[in-house]
Amino acid sequence: MIPSVRIALLSIKLVMRTKVALFFTFLFPIIFLFVYSGLFARGNPQAVVYFFGPLVTLQIMGSSFWGLGLQSVMQRERGSLRRYRLAPIGPGSMVFSSLLANYLLELPTLALLVFCARVFFHMPLQINPLTLLVLVTVGTFAFAGFGLTIASVANTMQEAQVYNNVVWFTLLFLSGVTVPLPMLPRLIQRFAAFLPATYLVTSFQAIMVGGQSLFEHRAEMLVLLISGTFGLLFAWKLFRWEKEEKISTRAKLVSICFVVPFLIMGFWMNERGNLAAAWEATFSMMSRPPLTAGQPASPAEGVLLNDFENPEEAETLLKTWQVATEVNAPGRSLGEFEVISPGADGTAHALRFKGRVEGAAGSDRGAVTARYPFTLPAGAPSLRGIQFEVRGDTRLFQVKITPADPTLPAPTLTFIPDSRWQIVRLPAAWLATPNPSPHKDTLVLEFRVDGPPGNFTLDIDEIRFY
Amino acid sequence: MANDSNSAVVRVEGLRKRYGDLEALRGITFEIKAGEVFGLLGPNGAGKTTTIEILEGLRQRDGGSVTVCGMDPGREQTALKQRIGAQLQATVLPDKIRVEEALTLFASFYRESASIEILLEQFGLAEKRRAFFEKLSGGQKQRLALALAMVNNPELVLLDEPTVGLDAQLRRDIYALIERFRDERRTTLLTTHYIEEAERLCDRVAIIAHGQLIALGTPRELVFHSGKGTRIEVSLAKPVSPDCLKQLDAVTDCREVDGRYFLHAQPAAVAIAALVKFLEAEGNTLLNLHIAQPTLEDVFVEMTGRRMEN
Repeated sequence: MIPSVRIALLSIKLVMRTKVALFFTFLFPIIFLFVYSGLFARGNPQAVVYFFGPLVTLQIMGSSFWGLGLQSVMQRERGSLRRYRLAPIGPGSMVFSSLLANYLLELPTLALLVFCARVFFHMPLQINPLTLLVLVTVGTFAFAGFGLTIASVANTMQEAQVYNNVVWFTLLFLSGVTVPLPMLPRLIQRFAAFLPATYLVTSFQAIMVGGQSLFEHRAEMLVLLISGTFGLLFAWKLFRWEKEEKISTRAKLVSICFVVPFLIMGFWMNERGNLAAAWEATFSMMSRPPLTAGQPASPAEGVLLNDFENPEEAETLLKTWQVATEVNAPGRSLGEFEVISPGADGTAHALRFKGRVEGAAGSDRGAVTARYPFTLPAGAPSLRGIQFEVRGDTRLFQVKITPADPTLPAPTLTFIPDSRWQIVRLPAAWLATPNPSPHKDTLVLEFRVDGPPGNFTLDIDEIRFY
Repeated sequence: MANDSNSAVVRVEGLRKRYGDLEALRGITFEIKAGEVFGLLGPNGAGKTTTIEILEGLRQRDGGSVTVCGMDPGREQTALKQRIGAQLQATVLPDKIRVEEALTLFASFYRESASIEILLEQFGLAEKRRAFFEKLSGGQKQRLALALAMVNNPELVLLDEPTVGLDAQLRRDIYALIERFRDERRTTLLTTHYIEEAERLCDRVAIIAHGQLIALGTPRELVFHSGKGTRIEVSLAKPVSPDCLKQLDAVTDCREVDGRYFLHAQPAAVAIAALVKFLEAEGNTLLNLHIAQPTLEDVFVEMTGRRMEN
């Protein structure tokens, strides 16, 4: 067995023999599970799922910063690394053993959290266990790198605690670990896009609550892996066996490049779209049952269509749209739907309505119409209309919502999209009136493009009632 | 440990080390032969630990050349560590590690390792094999540190003040262990600031002060060549000037401490005859006379101008 594995296994044994370490490794996360699930989620299983990601992120952060990182500094200050230095092992073995021990301790904690969440709060596990394991592995690796980088640049325990506190509280409050991201001001949300905990929290939530795939969060995973690798390289290169060895200011400055992946990711996420809407969508989902394939979310729950994150669900939704061309120009105009990526506001997917308008016989104008029928469930609250985000070719489009009752007006709106995502709202006054038998009534949402011949593209996302 | 006694296991030439403005080592040169127990003797801050840590590969030298087991400790640390065993001035291990676990863990780092059972027996730790490090007494911790130095059955053992802070009985226990190293013809370098330790354990001693090597040889050679001669301690009925006693035949030095006079003489018989004659002439009376051979401590005081405890 290689030395680092032996040291790691011994470290785990030492944790098992230390009451304080046992408490913080196993019991403390369980206490927080009860706090999150009881106070924040109020026992609602869907909300427990929403807060499970932040909870696991909190646990990973805690063990990385206050366990792994601070332990390294403490061992150096105490002088217990000196004895290892006399043996034929290098800094790499020491760093790898810390990482391995930290990871191996993380796994039973995670299992315990899942077990307790399911037993005590009936948390539905809407995630493949392997995906959960990958998320935890990548998160642990990334934050271990972060914790070890801090331990590498701090010359004393006091210094390490100061650095840890600054990073800890920033991540704790500004990255969705405690306060849900949609509840933060817009400016803070933009800042949150630069924080690694945000990537882990939002990936957990999008996968566990929004039903998205891990692949859709490959960018976040990649950034976490890169930063973790950077952290380990710094920890290895800057490893010090003795407290008398001080780190140079130059080395400290070099270690700042640890944040480069976060900066790139932050700018990319902020540029990519409106993060707030994506986070809001996941946030709103925690109060409704999970979507099933082919059944759009009901308006009562705030979202008519989800943002097509689940490929199977997207396929079924595509079939629900009915595309028609003008009867007097059959076979000439064309229209179809497809799922594109990325979507609006930082979501992974959107819907694309595209095709070609051809002039009808004797006319230089044609049209293509797409209709989406849906029903309002019983007990739907008063609503004011429907909204969605669009972008597309600069030409006239029309949106209409047709009620089941032909005596009621069908609100129509004409708009011209451009290359940027924009929110369009279509008020429908009759939505505010309780319908005596709403669940039987079919409404139709319709997008229409007409005008001179030519290709058209309209991207649609975040269709919801307001 | 079978070694060729003519070969030098450690070779140090013009070793220099600086910590900022402080020149800790100013060109030290010595050799340690195979199978030898070699002592580095000097007060605190003399440069002993710096020297041993450079030999262990824990510190980089600023000048000079060092060869340990035929290797440069500054460049071939990993290979060298396979062949040496070292004990630090203070060994700290995790509080909750058991004695047996510590030995097993550290033994696993080496290509060749000694039997843990034998080490536990040899170092008197068999009964404490399940004890946590935090529960061990100072002497037991020191014995464990020595046992850890032996886990790879090393060719060269480097011991940094192995008995510092221990009481007399524990020191004697450690002496017995080091004497075993000598019996096994295992090359040993130890640093100490206890004279009795160096006299008792070391085949050869190097005295270091202010980063310089000021004497090198067997304890007997150092005393013989010290030029101090026999020490004569006398008490007189009436006080006299030490300068008067210094003028006597064969007396090389005289100091007065609390009414007693310490004379160094060579040869002693001539000095005593001259002293008796002087006292008769002065009408003084000799109350007490004690003759002693000089010790390593006397040599050290002579060479460094201060006592070890200082």
